[in-house]
Amino acid sequence: MASEVEIRAPVRTRRPPRRVGLGRINLEIRQHVTPWRQALVLFGGLVVGLVATAVVLMTAGVGLPAIYDEFVVSIFSSSMSVSAVLIQTGPLLVVGLSAAVAFKVRFWNIGIEGQMIFGSIFATFVAIHDIGPEPLRLVLMLVAATLGGMLWILIPALLKLKLGVNEIISTLLLNYVAFNFLLYLLYGAWKDPKSAFPNSEQYDAVERLSPIGWESVTWALPVALVLAVLCWWLLNISRFGFLARFVDANPRMAAAVGIPIGTVTLTAALLSGAISGIGGFVVSAGIESRLTQSFFLGYTFSGILIAFLARNNPLFAILVAAFVGVLFVAGQSLQVFYQIPGAMVQLIQAIIVISVAASEFFVRHRVHWVRRSA
Amino acid sequence: MDFLVNWISNIPGFAVPFALASLGLILTEKSGVLSLGAEGFMLMGAMAGVGAVIVTAEPLLALVVAALATALISLIFAGLVVALRVNQVIAGLAMVFLCQGLTSLIGAEEGWTSRAIVGLGILPIWPLSDIPVIGRIFFRQDIVVYLTVPIFLAMQWMLNRTETGLKLRAVGENPEAADSTGVNVSLYRAGAIFCGAALVGFAGGYLSVAVARIWVDGMAGGRGWIAIALVIFARWHPWRALLGAVIFGGIEALIPRVAAVGIQVPQYFMLMTPYVATLLVMVWAALYGNTRLDEPGALGRPHVREERR
Repeated sequence: MASEVEIRAPVRTRRPPRRVGLGRINLEIRQHVTPWRQALVLFGGLVVGLVATAVVLMTAGVGLPAIYDEFVVSIFSSSMSVSAVLIQTGPLLVVGLSAAVAFKVRFWNIGIEGQMIFGSIFATFVAIHDIGPEPLRLVLMLVAATLGGMLWILIPALLKLKLGVNEIISTLLLNYVAFNFLLYLLYGAWKDPKSAFPNSEQYDAVERLSPIGWESVTWALPVALVLAVLCWWLLNISRFGFLARFVDANPRMAAAVGIPIGTVTLTAALLSGAISGIGGFVVSAGIESRLTQSFFLGYTFSGILIAFLARNNPLFAILVAAFVGVLFVAGQSLQVFYQIPGAMVQLIQAIIVISVAASEFFVRHRVHWVRRSA
Repeated sequence: MDFLVNWISNIPGFAVPFALASLGLILTEKSGVLSLGAEGFMLMGAMAGVGAVIVTAEPLLALVVAALATALISLIFAGLVVALRVNQVIAGLAMVFLCQGLTSLIGAEEGWTSRAIVGLGILPIWPLSDIPVIGRIFFRQDIVVYLTVPIFLAMQWMLNRTETGLKLRAVGENPEAADSTGVNVSLYRAGAIFCGAALVGFAGGYLSVAVARIWVDGMAGGRGWIAIALVIFARWHPWRALLGAVIFGGIEALIPRVAAVGIQVPQYFMLMTPYVATLLVMVWAALYGNTRLDEPGALGRPHVREERR
């Protein structure tokens, strides 16, 4: 038998390259990748994504000059539109951090929206029942939101750790459960009698994140920035971050040297849920000033996108969140002036993720194009 | 009694989307590719199906269009995970959001959104359809319901009795070994993604063309995710997936009927039941029976030929 195998498949040091048309493509795995090369290739992927975006927008009937106008000129021409971007950046950064903390330990939290809903529900409960003294009200709402988000991720986190239930599906399914519970409240006990829409009553002035004094930017942004720095410390400096990196790099090895993988994963998941809860609070108290039935829409994917593009680095996430904020604001004005449906922003985000993810191939592989010799 | 017959005769229509979608997912995942894009693929099929009905007024043709459109869009996914070896979780999620954005955009641009259509009609099988009770449950359904069991039979046969099926499973269990025997891993995986997505898209098309008879944004409503959970519950066995689909079809068919009979359950808690039930099913699957044993060995792992193990 052994000799037969040898005859059929002689040991070769190199596999034959693939043949494609006029030449052949040789693939080689890079053993070492410099950060610069990685950054360059990913930037290239981003550019390809933006070009694809421009093509999609042009087929939808927006001319190239108009695209340039909406995405670049009008964003940076007035302090009002810069503030509009910054207002979007706050919650986007928070959900990006939530995703980054979870992804750092390979916990795929796709339930950011559900956790935002429960964060906001808890915060709104504090607001509606006027719990605590007024100067502390916002802090109490923040704490409540943290607990709400944490509670909602506790179920999938425990199911994963105790039973091995896939967290991608469980966190996602709980989004739908949370959404229906939100509707139950908004069409029932919490409905504002003064409004025709299914909203809660408006928060009192002390229950809203007030403006910081420049344009209409609220305290949501500083809260998000502080959170980013805290997350950076947690993931890159603290002992917990070291353990998390270990779990991420090689779970089996981590278990072998006695790192409590369960505790590390559970902690990261609960933190992720808590941060998502804060994200809900930041939208409700910072932008909408009440609980609505759609305040959370689209944040899960934006969070994933931000964490993915920022390589789970909380400080890079600030930049990426601002970039996504630009997309959101430009998308809104495209909606108003060119009747482009809001779904376009979602499509653009997906295109960018796809092109950047695809570009990673060129980070890890060296591609040779070999002309066919005669 | 009438309530019971009414309920049971509605189950097949609700069960078929789950059944065909999970069958498509089983096909893809048997090749070792984790397909998280199901929700997006169902939306694609649903939107394309309604669009095709509006353009051609042919519901059956529309289902074919739904399958083809979804298979086409799945080529992006195939390119990402097979050729470029992108992380399959990221690629799958990106596909969901790409399809959500794309379907919502096309639906709005073409004016297909919220427009009632003439759907797929029922096809009574004459002498049998007049049998009381049984006739109504089994022989007054549309053609896709009748075809579902044969489709399952064909898939079971293909996977377990043909060389193609054998190679496909080999690619999913151990791509390196399959590669060394000369099986083209990339081709098999891309093919499994393409055909699997076509089935999922067909299921989505059925949902909009035969069940809802309308297209609205995000109308799959998590059914793609439930189908993914069903595949895990079924441990990649087609017949168990069919059983799961019937259970979930039963739950879905029950929701509108409970309120109609006058049982007082808050509406929104009723609407939660499919998702809670899915979660319970996953817990049950985790408690009883080791899922890992039946999972394709290389599920979610890209095949990197240049990397020697």
